[in-house]
Amino acid sequence: MNGDHSWTEFAASYALDALDPEDRAAFESHLAGCPDCRAQVASYREVAGALALGAPALEAPAALRARVLAQARGVRPITSRQPLPAGDRRAWLATAAALVLALALGALYLAERSEHDDVLASSAEAHLKLAAAQERLAANDSMISALLAPDVQTAVLASEGRPPSARLFHNRERNLVVVTVFDLAPAAAGRTYQVWGIAGTQAVSIGTFNTQPNRSAVLTFRVPLGARYQVSAITDEPAGGSPQPTTRPFLSGGWSAP
Amino acid sequence: MVNSNDSAGSAHELPMRMAKGDERALAEFYDRFANLSYSLAYQIVGNDADAQEVVGDVFAQIWSSAASFDPARASVASWVSMITRSRGLDRLRSQNRRARVVELAMETGGSEETVIPMSPGEDAADRVEALDLRARIGRELAQLPPNQRQVIELAFYGGLTHSEIAAHLSQPLGTVKTRLRTAMTKLRDTLAAYQFLE
Repeated sequence: MNGDHSWTEFAASYALDALDPEDRAAFESHLAGCPDCRAQVASYREVAGALALGAPALEAPAALRARVLAQARGVRPITSRQPLPAGDRRAWLATAAALVLALALGALYLAERSEHDDVLASSAEAHLKLAAAQERLAANDSMISALLAPDVQTAVLASEGRPPSARLFHNRERNLVVVTVFDLAPAAAGRTYQVWGIAGTQAVSIGTFNTQPNRSAVLTFRVPLGARYQVSAITDEPAGGSPQPTTRPFLSGGWSAP
Repeated sequence: MVNSNDSAGSAHELPMRMAKGDERALAEFYDRFANLSYSLAYQIVGNDADAQEVVGDVFAQIWSSAASFDPARASVASWVSMITRSRGLDRLRSQNRRARVVELAMETGGSEETVIPMSPGEDAADRVEALDLRARIGRELAQLPPNQRQVIELAFYGGLTHSEIAAHLSQPLGTVKTRLRTAMTKLRDTLAAYQFLE
């Protein structure tokens, strides 16, 4: 208990997901170090969960059961020891793994040749792009501080050296992932892009997005407390996103160590 | 009266079983929570077709991420509810639509007369783990002043933030914050008195 009660006013609204972005970012950074507020949030979360029971009670249509169960079974539970179904999911995880390996080898190569002009040039270019992204976001303190915090993890998502590219920043203190994307045409009508975080063989949706007509996007997604990703990938999905990837990732890359 | 402790105990086992690939656990989980999820989804998206899609997404997510369920952080019913709310609001956003509760508030210029009619409590949802809890929640919500209920509904079913609620209701931001906090605290305290909260 830190005796600072000004924050407890935020707990109820935070549990309802009703804080405006600036308040939310401020509260989340406070929350990390305040067990008292975390307990408050937990108690209000149960109230929020109970509010579901305030909706007029309806009976789910009988035909929905078979459809939902069949749909759910198309996706294996994450910790299942059963083999993954053959097909896209295996293929895209293999793609992701191969890309991570390639990136790791590439990083070794770059480290050995760090004096090389090409490397300096591409590094400078990356910094320029990042600087440009940060400049565009200058109005958003929350995002900037999420990007610049000392313990932020990063992931560079690439597709075999060609555009598009994406850079991800995971601020684990604030549970935010900032995504910058370049040289990516806006998704087709009825489609969206979806960012995935992968740990082991588990792919978890981080969020969906679309790019601007200038083929870039900068976004902030909230992720669960304690989320850890080894790999991230971006796929093209039906509008609204998918519970699990349905297409092969066109961008993929590994996260830096914490 | 439902013995919520017993049913909550076995409901906690289901995510663990699902995480091991037990499909019967998924079916059992569906039978327990489908009505809860569908009712909430319908309340958010406002039609049967979208509500069914949301429920499909919810159970696919629950099945694939059952291992991430942490009983220390939330009850099973709360877990299902919050996933349903997120997927429901996602669906609205993907269609560039607003929640029904927000449309109602806009049509009437934020009049407090538009709060949602409460469930009478006795209903067909007899497989939901806490039938009597539904009646309690309905009763407690009904007893809130309409202006407090409305901000809670706009936040929960409508996915709006403080400033969005203030804009929709043409109310000062501070008033919205106060109403929301007051209502949530009142609900928490009364529900705790029912020993719903641990």
